[in-house]
Amino acid sequence: MSLKAEVTLHTTSLRRYALVLTRDPTAADDLVQETLLKAIDKADTWQPGTNLRPWLFRIMHNTHISDLRRAKTRSDAAPDLPEPVVPDHQHTQLELKQVLQALDQLPEAQRKPIILIALREMSYVEAARSLDVPLGTFMSRLGRGREALRRIMSGVTAGKLAVLNRKGNI
Amino acid sequence: MAQDTNTEQDLGLDDDLIAYVDGTLSPERTAQVEARLARDPEARAATASWRHHDNLIREMAQIADDLPANMRIAALERELAAKLQARKRRAFLMGPALGRIAASILIFTSGWGAHALFNSSSPLRGAEYPQFVSATLTGHYALQYASMQQAEFQPEELDMALDWMSERMQRKIDSPKLERLGYEVESARLVSDDSGPLAIFHFRDGQGERVTVSIAPHAPDKADYALRVVRLDTDSMAYWTDSGLDYSIIGEVDVGQITTLAAAVRD
Repeated sequence: MSLKAEVTLHTTSLRRYALVLTRDPTAADDLVQETLLKAIDKADTWQPGTNLRPWLFRIMHNTHISDLRRAKTRSDAAPDLPEPVVPDHQHTQLELKQVLQALDQLPEAQRKPIILIALREMSYVEAARSLDVPLGTFMSRLGRGREALRRIMSGVTAGKLAVLNRKGNI
Repeated sequence: MAQDTNTEQDLGLDDDLIAYVDGTLSPERTAQVEARLARDPEARAATASWRHHDNLIREMAQIADDLPANMRIAALERELAAKLQARKRRAFLMGPALGRIAASILIFTSGWGAHALFNSSSPLRGAEYPQFVSATLTGHYALQYASMQQAEFQPEELDMALDWMSERMQRKIDSPKLERLGYEVESARLVSDDSGPLAIFHFRDGQGERVTVSIAPHAPDKADYALRVVRLDTDSMAYWTDSGLDYSIIGEVDVGQITTLAAAVRD
């Protein structure tokens, strides 16, 4: 595969990842552009022969962190988050919104491993490298994050059931 | 409540369960985990939930594939690919190529380079020194030569060499066309000193006779050199300026032959 084709392939992945991080197509493309600009600037730091994907994702992570810092804190920025872009199916849309909201409640350190692995485009080792953390730390954050997400979603489901019970619907 | 929390944390720290959800376990290990899930409803619920959330997140991410093409991103991709290609080329040159440079110094010292130093118009020519002094001088000049050399290329790397040289000289450099006269390129190298970069091409014919061609940007403050052919001790040399580049060619051939070779390079 040519280097150009490889870059295009990874940019597609970056765009997917950025969309989940930002929830907004315009913000996602801005993040991808900023990432590519930084990658161009840092091209000499890439070690030929090593996988390009974790290198690009690491740049995107650092860029995203800088963006978040510029927005001071995530909680400050949260009210400004656009309505999530979600698939059209009604039932999926609602559930996905809930999952995305639950993800927002997780610490950044757990949220990113969950999203990276959900995309199924990187191994654990590559994903850990892209976040610049040891593999053990990455696995621990992934597992804890998934469990925390499940707990939050269980609470959401239990809450919905309670509401329906109160309304006498079930 | 505290017990529930502990149980949940333990599940999240179970690498087997995580790897099972991500499909990275071996078939044997997968079978073991599935057997465990059959008798552990909590682990079964956890893995099903993790997988379901992953699927939802991935579905969200794939919406990006249907977004309109972004021309700015496409342009940046091209620019990045070009930068990385240049980075790859430089790394190639500065990595294993260093070994080849070291080897070329030996070739230079013991072979034609020493021959060139002690023959023709070398400042050493005609001097009567003991053999060990000559050898020391050869080593000294070889080291100077090595410090000027930036890269060496093998014949199969000639295209890359020409790209690299063109980039360094900021103008298009073509390979001297001596093949039609029976010469094949042996190696190419780029050296650099205070006056700037110099591309050197070494050729050899079927009889093993070597010819060297050099190309360098012409100094803008100097007049162009008209073609001049010089007979040296055992070698002949020609040099000239053409289209902003200085050329020279040298080989152990007579004046007629060096003129023919120069014409082929100029062609």
